[in-house]
Amino acid sequence: MNALERHRRLRAIWASEPGMRGWLSTVNHNDLGRMFLLTAFVFFGIGGLLAMLIRAQLATPHSAFAGPQIYNQIFTMHGTIMMFLFAIPCFEGLAIYLLPKILGTRDLAFPRLTAYGYWCYVFGGVMLLVAMLLGIAPDAGWFIYPPLSGAIHSPGINTDFWLIGITFVEISAIAAAVEITVSVLKYRAPGMALDKMPIFAWYALITALMILTGFPPLILGSVLLELERAFGLPFFQAELGGDSLLWQHLFWLFGHPEVYIIFLPAAGVISTVLPVMCRTTLLGYGWIVAAAVGLAFLSFGLWVHHMFTTGIPHMGLAFFSAASTLVAVPTAVQIFAWIGTMWKGRPELHLPMLHILGFFCTFVIGGLTGVMVAVVPFDWQAHDTAFITAHLHYVLFGGFVFPILAGVYYWLPHVTGQRRVFRLGEVAFALVFLGFHVTFLAMHWVGLMGQRRRIPTYAPEDGWTAINLISSVGSFVLAIGLAMILIDVVLHVLIAARGKRNPWRAGTLEWAMMTPPPAYTFASLPQVDSRTPLADDPHLAVRLARGEGYLATPREGARETLCVDIASGRPDMHVVYPANTRLPVTMSALTGVFFLSLLVKFYWTVPLALAGVAILACKWVWGNGRREDPEPVQVREGITLANAATARRSPGWWGTLFLLSADATFFGALLFGFAFLWTVAPGWPPPEWFAGAMVMAGIGGFGALIGPAAMRQAIRANRRGDTALPGIGLALVGALAVAAACAAVMVQTPAPMGHAYGATLLVLGGYGLFHAGLGALMAGFLAARVLRGFTSRVRQAEFSIVSLWIDYLSVIGLLVLLAAYLPGLLS
Amino acid sequence: MKDILRILIAPLLWLAAFSAVYGLLGLICGHGIGGTVLGLSLPRVLLIAAYGLAILLQAALLAALYHPRLAARSGFVRFVSRITGWAGLVAAGYTLFPVAVTSSCL
Repeated sequence: MNALERHRRLRAIWASEPGMRGWLSTVNHNDLGRMFLLTAFVFFGIGGLLAMLIRAQLATPHSAFAGPQIYNQIFTMHGTIMMFLFAIPCFEGLAIYLLPKILGTRDLAFPRLTAYGYWCYVFGGVMLLVAMLLGIAPDAGWFIYPPLSGAIHSPGINTDFWLIGITFVEISAIAAAVEITVSVLKYRAPGMALDKMPIFAWYALITALMILTGFPPLILGSVLLELERAFGLPFFQAELGGDSLLWQHLFWLFGHPEVYIIFLPAAGVISTVLPVMCRTTLLGYGWIVAAAVGLAFLSFGLWVHHMFTTGIPHMGLAFFSAASTLVAVPTAVQIFAWIGTMWKGRPELHLPMLHILGFFCTFVIGGLTGVMVAVVPFDWQAHDTAFITAHLHYVLFGGFVFPILAGVYYWLPHVTGQRRVFRLGEVAFALVFLGFHVTFLAMHWVGLMGQRRRIPTYAPEDGWTAINLISSVGSFVLAIGLAMILIDVVLHVLIAARGKRNPWRAGTLEWAMMTPPPAYTFASLPQVDSRTPLADDPHLAVRLARGEGYLATPREGARETLCVDIASGRPDMHVVYPANTRLPVTMSALTGVFFLSLLVKFYWTVPLALAGVAILACKWVWGNGRREDPEPVQVREGITLANAATARRSPGWWGTLFLLSADATFFGALLFGFAFLWTVAPGWPPPEWFAGAMVMAGIGGFGALIGPAAMRQAIRANRRGDTALPGIGLALVGALAVAAACAAVMVQTPAPMGHAYGATLLVLGGYGLFHAGLGALMAGFLAARVLRGFTSRVRQAEFSIVSLWIDYLSVIGLLVLLAAYLPGLLS
Repeated sequence: MKDILRILIAPLLWLAAFSAVYGLLGLICGHGIGGTVLGLSLPRVLLIAAYGLAILLQAALLAALYHPRLAARSGFVRFVSRITGWAGLVAAGYTLFPVAVTSSCL
């Protein structure tokens, strides 16, 4: 088969449907990556327009441009859009588009999950935009602190839009994080051991793991605050055993890592683009990986530095002040490695390099002011002033927007297959750089003079007028610069000047294909022996197109790729992807109905939407299976691999593992909240302890213990070729027993609306009940699969996945029962 | 996956120790734990013991990462896991040092 014939056959297998249908049914990472990025930049534009409105308001004293009600919505939506609807999805889009290409594979691990995440993001984002257009957008600041955001002080629907809309959008982040983690670990080119992974993949992996552990506390906080607002469960009301500081802990447990979740992918872009711009290799690859890991973990130990003014004991302040200064060290390791890379190479001032230099100037200043606010006495003075606003913009614009713009200009020729004709980008960079620094240097100054954040106006006698005007003029220069970048990109796309395949002479695999990339990415998968395979073999792209790699022969219309061993990169599984489907968009629409029903308090549609999602989820998984044992596939001459359905640790098992790690963080945050209220909140101990029937505790405990044992018995029986149904049935009974015990906790908990203790037990019971229902559904589903012949001694992958869920249910079931019964027994 | 765990384990241990000591401080202050042991303030003794334990665990983990039987076979993973091991030890020593010098519940 020649290269052209291979291309035609692969394109027929991998292509999306034509026209609008293709948008809705595509599961291809090329399409979805571009759609994610485009949507994220649309939100960036909207967030930017809101920023202009803020600066218009603050340009002069006593401004009547917007009243306080509208102004509150403007700054709240600006922060919310930039953090949740631009920065994180932009990373997701970049990772989705880029990872399969730089890792040398054909798609991400779970293509339909990518599509589902995208549509959740779009629907959730649109929900927030509609609120803004209707004038009922969130208005309590992007971190939406109670008691201000509680039902008493914010009685409208505005705050509900934030809590429900953002939770909806975060499904997308969790989905992308699971996707990225499994893809980086398992979906790589043969031979790509951990030390040969492109540096961007390391950053993406670390960021995805941070999303899995950083986002659940915020999701929990949003659930608790919405429960308080909708049903009066008093988690954040001090007079009823709650504490508004709990929100701050949960929010910043997410919020501070979020800063690094935004910065690390951008650092990945720098580490990828900078060596190419300097015609050299990255200095200190191992040190950079270690620094990124260190930074990720340290970022989880900084959350209280946002709470230095809340009356925390001195020793607590000192812990977090120390951690906040220490985090500068791994950041500096990366900065020095990049400076060393420039020193080692011969920097060429192409447009991406200009943005990288913009990053250096801006981010280093932001980092240094970060060290300033890490020092408690300074923070006490600067807290909630414009100085902090300026600092965070230096970190986020410097640490994310400049690198992303470098990435845009670096990879644009890859996305379009074209080259730039006009030099508008250089002028635009100058305007962005100057405009940004004028705007935010001035904001540092006015902050130190005492201007608070979020104020709608000020008086002339405050002495801030000239500085604010300078800042506003700077912001409009910045906006003009960004608009020029948009025009430059549009011109690049519209003027079809054909570019070279590898215009930057880069060494990474994304350039070893035709541009724009075909839907199948690689005609055959490369064998990788170094970090820069394309630099080692400049003809690699041609050789792969000729079929001199793995999986060179398209088979039976199947979308094929292979998985590798995590450490060594040795091929270990053959994988067949699902084809185009509208299932993800339909399921995300139904998920949207669930959230919308909660928002408008139309509760009778909630169970309908949930049932719809469950049915579609079953349909989703049902379509994966096969009723005959798959033959091993020859992926290259002399190398034969078994199908993933026969593996104990299939891609689905890995995906479940990482999804459960996010779930466990959610549960851990809930237990932390329980312990926090008990220890710190006023009004404890509660007036009445939980005194449920011990028989229910016994039934629940029995169910929790019997489930894992039964699933193991089922797995052993299946391997022997015996029927697994008795074991699965017993696991189902175990799950139902846990469900009954958790339901009893919910029913018997004392006065959930009267005290935070009862409210917390209600949520703990609900969490257990939900997972027990999920476990029962999965066990029932597996039984149906066994009966219909979808499993065999060889096809065992589904057993391991259900077993993992049942194990998790067992652990959390026991902990829920312990948390409910133990305090009452001890008292 | 074991290689990934080798790289992540030391900072993860630091995070657990850091959160645990902060939690212990919360318990001591929230429940008004006081008193003396051998003439020393009980809260201070508890916090310093936790601090010492955290450093000991980090040091033991670092030693394990250097041990030929437990270290990774890949030179790259060995290198990175030892750097993160040192990072965990230094972070524990530095960030929890306030237990020795600052007032606990003021």
